[in-house]
Amino acid sequence: MSEFDAIIVGAGPAGSSAAIKLASSGLTTLLVEKADPPGSKNVSGGIMWGNELGGVLPDWEKDAPLERYVISKGTGLLTSDSLISVDFRSRKFESRKTGYSVLRAKFDQYLANKAKSKGATLVTGVTVDGLALKDGKVAGVIQEGDEITADTVILAEGVNPRVAISSGLRPEIGDKDVAIGVKQVVKLSEATINERFNIRGNSGFAGEYVLGFLKNGVKAGGFLYTNKETISVGAVINVGTLRADNETHSFEIMDQFVNHPFISPYLEGGKMEEYSAHLVCEGGIGSVPKIYGDGYLIAGDAAGFSYSNGLIIQGINYAITSGIAAADTVIEAKSKSNFSSGMLRGYEDRLQGKYVLKDLKKFRGIEEVTWSNLAHKALPDIAEETLFNLFYEEGIPKRHLMEIVLSATKKSGVKKTDMILEAYRTMRRM
Amino acid sequence: MEIEEKLSVLNYKTDKGFEHITVTPDICEVCPDYFCTFACPAKCYTVMEGKLNFKYEDCVECGTCLFACSHGSVKWNNVKGGHGVKYKYG
Ligand SMILES: Cc1cc2nc3c(=O)[nH]c(=O)nc-3n(C[C@H](O)[C@H](O)[C@H](O)COP(=O)(O)OP(=O)(O)OC[C@H]3O[C@@H](n4cnc5c(N)ncnc54)[C@H](O)[C@@H]3O)c2cc1C
Ligand code: SF4
Ligand code: SF4
Repeated sequence: MSEFDAIIVGAGPAGSSAAIKLASSGLTTLLVEKADPPGSKNVSGGIMWGNELGGVLPDWEKDAPLERYVISKGTGLLTSDSLISVDFRSRKFESRKTGYSVLRAKFDQYLANKAKSKGATLVTGVTVDGLALKDGKVAGVIQEGDEITADTVILAEGVNPRVAISSGLRPEIGDKDVAIGVKQVVKLSEATINERFNIRGNSGFAGEYVLGFLKNGVKAGGFLYTNKETISVGAVINVGTLRADNETHSFEIMDQFVNHPFISPYLEGGKMEEYSAHLVCEGGIGSVPKIYGDGYLIAGDAAGFSYSNGLIIQGINYAITSGIAAADTVIEAKSKSNFSSGMLRGYEDRLQGKYVLKDLKKFRGIEEVTWSNLAHKALPDIAEETLFNLFYEEGIPKRHLMEIVLSATKKSGVKKTDMILEAYRTMRRM
Repeated sequence: MEIEEKLSVLNYKTDKGFEHITVTPDICEVCPDYFCTFACPAKCYTVMEGKLNFKYEDCVECGTCLFACSHGSVKWNNVKGGHGVKYKYG
């Protein structure tokens, strides 16, 4: 007999969602979190997209600590001198909310406490060191030399899953699997935020930017999200290009973004209340390991479930969905008293039926687009040159738009054939 | 704002008895790139007088150095017992 039906490693959105579902279904559930309080080591931009939480907490929109709902979605290209952006605002987002800004320290604590109130045992400030094995099957976890047993272990450790890696359940992470995320939370009054972003009430802005001004081929994206009385601003940095450059410090990219002439006015006079850094899972389907086996399942970032195409970062919703699917699988396994790999395989089937694996497969190779030269260098330069020439009046005869684009392309130094090839690849993968 | 000043705003519960990350001085001594000093977002890795200096106390546990170092010098563990960085916002 195992001590618990399920042990979950990590109380992030994946682990806590799984715990809520399992405990609500009457299974004995142990949720172990290394941070105390839960959430105090976690970082997102962060917008939680979609209505995934509804799957376990029907009233989440009423009682979760949400900052603002997204009414305005910005996407921009930044060069040293210019910002080229689209700001999509729609009243349609008022009645059909697409995403909310959240601050993870509060948000994760809310989720973990929900799991506890549904009957899960929550232990915090406790780090799981490894997995207990019995006859080659996962039979529980090890903490400070003690073994705690369970029929199934759900590994929801996040992007750097030491337990899964050290147990050989997934490979080490590398440059291609992750990006370096850096973030600052800047305090401003609610009224100032409303005024600067042209928003009212609890509506908010979510913007992502290509940082086309970075030197020496370094690639990074920036984000700017409004909370009630703070702004979340940060950068997601590609590791391969940072390594190839070997001159730029990751933390300097943050400064370059917040000091950009068209970003800094949003933050002016604000108090920098927190600096943070965390890896972002970015590898696409290529980073997804085998997600189930005898006695275990892997969920959330630990399984490589995350999607980013340069216009949006999604991971929280994938974490919640995979956590719930993992829990559903364990519930079924329990009803059949079978915790073998063959039984737990149902987890993958469940995710195949959902957007989690479908998206990752459909957008195979999206990470190449996100970090392409086209998106990070050519596009910002060409767009800037084109728009500048289009709007700059110097009293000479006007040129056709196409002519301007072509000469801007030429000036950017990108070969036309390369451009067409990359544009084609981009279109195919988007 | 300098990175040192940014880090000074953070709360840590430092584990005096356990350094969750350690480097192997012999390997760092002959390092060709010092990429850890560029990659670490908390400036825990610095080079002083040609020698690598590592400070685990400022670490925000992001995991970057674990794979940023491609020379096998970094031993990386989770912090224990609720130690380490404590974000207020996250
Ligand atoms: C800068 C940045 C911006 C982002 N922006 C967005 C965004 O806007 N929208 C979005 O949807 N996603 C965003 N993401 C991605 C999102 O944060 C992740 O996809 C999400 O947090 C994954 O959830 P998870 O539950 O799988 O892992 P995590 O949230 O990382 O949770 C894992 C938990 O496990 C705990 N843990 C780990 N190991 C152990 C152990 N051995 N013992 C005990 N506990 C352990 C950790 O402390 C942590 O609480 C962003 C990420 C970053 C870094
Ligand atoms: S930790 Fe790795 S990258 Fe850094 S100096 Fe040592 S060997 Fe070089
Ligand atoms: S884990 Fe991150 S913050 Fe800590 S030393 Fe390594 S790179 Fe720096």
